[in-house]
Amino acid sequence: MAQVTFLEAIRQALFEEMERDPTVICLGEDIGVYGGAFKVTQGLLERFGWERVIETPIAETAIIGAACGMSYLGLRPVAEMQFIDFIGCCFNQITNFVAKSNYRWGAPVPMVVRGPSGGGVHGGPFHSANPEAYFVHTPGLKVVYPSTPYDAKGLLKSAIRDNNPVLFFEHKFLYRRIKEEIPDGDYTVPLGKAIVRREGRDLTIVTYAAMMHTSLEAAELLSKEGVEAEVIDLRTLLPLDRETIVQSVRKTNKLMVVHEDTKTGGMAGEIAAVVCEDAFEDLDGPILRVTSLDTPVPYAPSLEERFLPSVNDVVRTARELAKY
Amino acid sequence: MKYPLTREQHLELYYYMRLNRQLEEQMVRLFRQNKIIGGLYSSSGQEAISVGTAYALEKRDWVAPMIRNLGALLVKGFRPRDIFTQHMARYTSPTKGKDGTSHFGSLKEHHVVAPISMLGDLIPVMTGVAMAGRYLGQEIVALTWIGDGGSSTGAFHEGMGLAASQRAPLVCVIENNQWAYSTPVSRQVPVRNLVERAKAYGVAGYIVDGNDANAVYQTTKEAVERCRAGHGPVIIEAKTHRMKGHAQHDAAEYVPKEMVEYWKARDPIARYERFLTQNKLWNAKIKEEIDTRIEKEIREDQEFAENSPFPPPELAEEGVYCEGPLPNEAEWLRPIEEVMPPKAGAKPAWTVKDFGGLEHPTPEVVAESSSDGTAAAAQKAERASKRTKKVAKARAAALSRGRR
Amino acid sequence: MPIEVIMPQMGESIFEGTITKWLKKPGDRVERDEPLFEISTDKVDAEIPAPSSGVLKEIKIGEGQTVPIQTVVAVIDADGAVTTAPPAPAKPAAPAAPAPAAAPPKTAAPVIPAPTAVPPAPVRPTGEKIRSSPLVRRMAREHNVDLATVPGTGAGGRISKKDIQVVIERGGARPAMAPAPSVPGAPGTQAHVVLENAVPREKIYFGRYEVQPMTTMRQRIAEHMVISKRVSPHVYSIEEVDMTNIVAVREKLRGEFERKHETKLTFMPFFVRACVEGLRAFPTVNASVDGNNVVLHRDINMGFAVALEWGLIVPVIKGAEEKNFLGIQRAINDLAERARTKKLKPEEVQESTFAITNPGVFGGLMGLPVINQPNVAILGLGAIQKRPVVINDAIAIRSMVYLTLSYDHRVVDGAVSHQFLGRVKHILENWDENIL
Repeated sequence: MAQVTFLEAIRQALFEEMERDPTVICLGEDIGVYGGAFKVTQGLLERFGWERVIETPIAETAIIGAACGMSYLGLRPVAEMQFIDFIGCCFNQITNFVAKSNYRWGAPVPMVVRGPSGGGVHGGPFHSANPEAYFVHTPGLKVVYPSTPYDAKGLLKSAIRDNNPVLFFEHKFLYRRIKEEIPDGDYTVPLGKAIVRREGRDLTIVTYAAMMHTSLEAAELLSKEGVEAEVIDLRTLLPLDRETIVQSVRKTNKLMVVHEDTKTGGMAGEIAAVVCEDAFEDLDGPILRVTSLDTPVPYAPSLEERFLPSVNDVVRTARELAKY
Repeated sequence: MKYPLTREQHLELYYYMRLNRQLEEQMVRLFRQNKIIGGLYSSSGQEAISVGTAYALEKRDWVAPMIRNLGALLVKGFRPRDIFTQHMARYTSPTKGKDGTSHFGSLKEHHVVAPISMLGDLIPVMTGVAMAGRYLGQEIVALTWIGDGGSSTGAFHEGMGLAASQRAPLVCVIENNQWAYSTPVSRQVPVRNLVERAKAYGVAGYIVDGNDANAVYQTTKEAVERCRAGHGPVIIEAKTHRMKGHAQHDAAEYVPKEMVEYWKARDPIARYERFLTQNKLWNAKIKEEIDTRIEKEIREDQEFAENSPFPPPELAEEGVYCEGPLPNEAEWLRPIEEVMPPKAGAKPAWTVKDFGGLEHPTPEVVAESSSDGTAAAAQKAERASKRTKKVAKARAAALSRGRR
Repeated sequence: MPIEVIMPQMGESIFEGTITKWLKKPGDRVERDEPLFEISTDKVDAEIPAPSSGVLKEIKIGEGQTVPIQTVVAVIDADGAVTTAPPAPAKPAAPAAPAPAAAPPKTAAPVIPAPTAVPPAPVRPTGEKIRSSPLVRRMAREHNVDLATVPGTGAGGRISKKDIQVVIERGGARPAMAPAPSVPGAPGTQAHVVLENAVPREKIYFGRYEVQPMTTMRQRIAEHMVISKRVSPHVYSIEEVDMTNIVAVREKLRGEFERKHETKLTFMPFFVRACVEGLRAFPTVNASVDGNNVVLHRDINMGFAVALEWGLIVPVIKGAEEKNFLGIQRAINDLAERARTKKLKPEEVQESTFAITNPGVFGGLMGLPVINQPNVAILGLGAIQKRPVVINDAIAIRSMVYLTLSYDHRVVDGAVSHQFLGRVKHILENWDENIL
């Protein structure tokens, strides 16, 4: 077992998959000599060469399109968005070409689109995105958003091996801040399964990515007040693990969702609707949300702090919910 | 001809073009009988491009058709029934009714990538196909078409940029049929020959009379050989004219009558018939045989399509994800060791040969904005150029004064 | 075999077309794909080919007419068998197409649990809605707990899961109560007043007792009494009437009357006739109230209360002002008989404008009846008793009766009520109508 950072775990996954399977190829901007803007792909060029670590011009549509074309010949490309915010530039390719390919003409696209996402690093409005909502809303894609090094490695491996297009968001705040001991050797984490991070009986917090850690922190504070929160880490957003969420709600009868994405149209609304459909009679209180403000991500630290959900926000909402 | 064709091959070219045209004419009838739903596009007048370019490829090569490349699909091996069932939304269509018009493909059998409605997106995708084929050692060429209008999109530009920087074996055929829906090409692009963009991308470019099937074939064959030999992407601009409207609902009254007459006289099929006759490559009997064959195929395949069921409603829920194995596993035609360590691997460092500076006085006009044809505009450009040169001279003088 | 020719859709946004020219006429032979007619649409004009070979049988839409797409414009008598699309296969068969077959859907719609019959929201005795949650309501249903009895300690007095769990655990220590009051009246009937309790239910059940659910009639009576008292401010005027004359008349003529008319002679028609006169003279007493309008009824529909074994009903003599004494008596006897045998029709207990009730028939000096809505007054008859009264400063024994008029003080004032009663008294004490 070795202690690795979140970023390290991702790099290990790339290394091991490229080692294991010659059809795995990386493409993106500055991923070769430079090793990527965050050094995630450092060392890959040296080991696997120019044919498998392809440096592209600044052309997101071309990156995604080429990856799609490669998939048709049976390769498994891993395309990098230097910052996931730039996925907006290739929105058309992803949602119209890639996502619909299997449904329309039976041509699966076994590619992965990965990149650094999320805020809290003073990145400002264009380097802090959480774009999951656009793609969870697109049938044909899978969306993965891990929160721990163990999961990041295992999920990226599963994503690469999956025959469908997977968007893999790596929360940049966690890149070097989170360390964990992970096992040696090959292991995978299945897509589409959430996990209970902390057991509790008074209320359920459903969350993912960086907010998972915030929620755990909040759960500890709540415990001191006699409120035991159960924390569920979704890990995969599409397909959503309804079963795990519902089972928890059946136990605690109270639900709140915490995510860093903005409120309107975000995952929390979707989860609330799912729980109303599947477990209405188990609810002893309203479904509450803790999210970022409905604004673009501001730059100044004081503004960004106000924008992002804090531990206090989670605790406060949980207290409110517990009162019901 | 650099790549001579046998008599049979000439006749085959003709057969495909005729089949293309008649199939489309029959589809117009079906559309007017409401048996084809949605929209219907035609490649009337452009058959030589679809057929001539596709004919120059080998079976292992990949294509991605656009709405006016039905002829290429026929050359690649699709049958009229596939076209009929696609347009009639039948369960027996290549997409089982999930998509319509020319949005179908075939990964294993015909190496055809299905297009989407957004234009230009096929360029990066086919670049990927070309790169993957090279990577797997398959020595394939990827070929796709784009219209004069579609070449304005960002996707086209990004795709060509990537293809060029990767020296991908991609042939991109710009079918300049003079009209993008109702917009004449001069309003889309102030450049007369779109192939001039090839220079901007640093790729090879050819220009050809798109209504001369032989010329199209020869040009494409040469381009394909260059690609396969690893010389990088090629843009071929084929000049032609869209003889009908953008689609069935467009009467195209905006096209000047004289223009239509000009191009009618250059109809590709009529031209090829004259070529075959003049070179004694056929006679009345052979022509009749071809006519009969085509008529029979179309009639039988239309019947097949009309007798085909519509897809069952449950099909709507299926196929969002691929649940089983990949239908198109990678086919390795080179030793895998070449791409694995220790054989694979590169030094993570750059060798930069050209440091990029300018060694002569600036500014230097390297391109003029295109004139719109009037004398006044040309004079204006001339005056501007003189002014720039005057400024440059004065600045150079000042510079040398300052140095002393 | 007839084939329909339809107006085609020439573009995605085109929904109608105009026939500009028929190229064939009925009786002409047409070949398949031969041009048959010309159309004009918003976007394009076109020549439409015939869908099959045969004889043009009928043209349904003429030149110049515009019809929606898919309209049948003509019929062709086609030669031989014609191909039509067979119905979609019941199960998707594997086609010969090169596209790979997709596996069964993983993304099937999630199973939505069938909606369970949800009982209406419970109400506390004070009429206030009980706040809980879906979970709490389900638990209440499953454990047969009446939420109206569960104290709520949640936010805003809500019953939380904790609260109901306490009740469920206590279980057997509670006295068995009747099931919680549901909103009376089956779905489809008129809305009814909810019967409230004046005290919390626990205070009703103590010691030994037996619970009898109310019959529908009893519930309706109960509701009516509550609402009548609530809506109309009841004031009472009492008058004493000397019935000696009428008693004598009745005694004298009873035998002959009953023989002649084959119907019983009671006291009721005397009072009804007197009231009819009184109502004629004082129409305000024969009215209804609608908000701030007084509705003066032109007809006099006299209701009279009939006591039944199982309750009380008020049949109505319609148009009492047009009936003579005999007519009134017959109506009373007939309606009363049918009331007791449950043979009254709905219209016979509706649309009264005034009512008389006879509590005196059970003994009792006088009654203070509840107004039969939507009337504004009701006359209560006491028992007819011999009493000593003062006449001309001497004591006489007379048959006397107390009349009580309960009236709605929104529209009937004391003066009118006394005048009305005075009139009735006068008629009764000076009876001169020939009853035979």
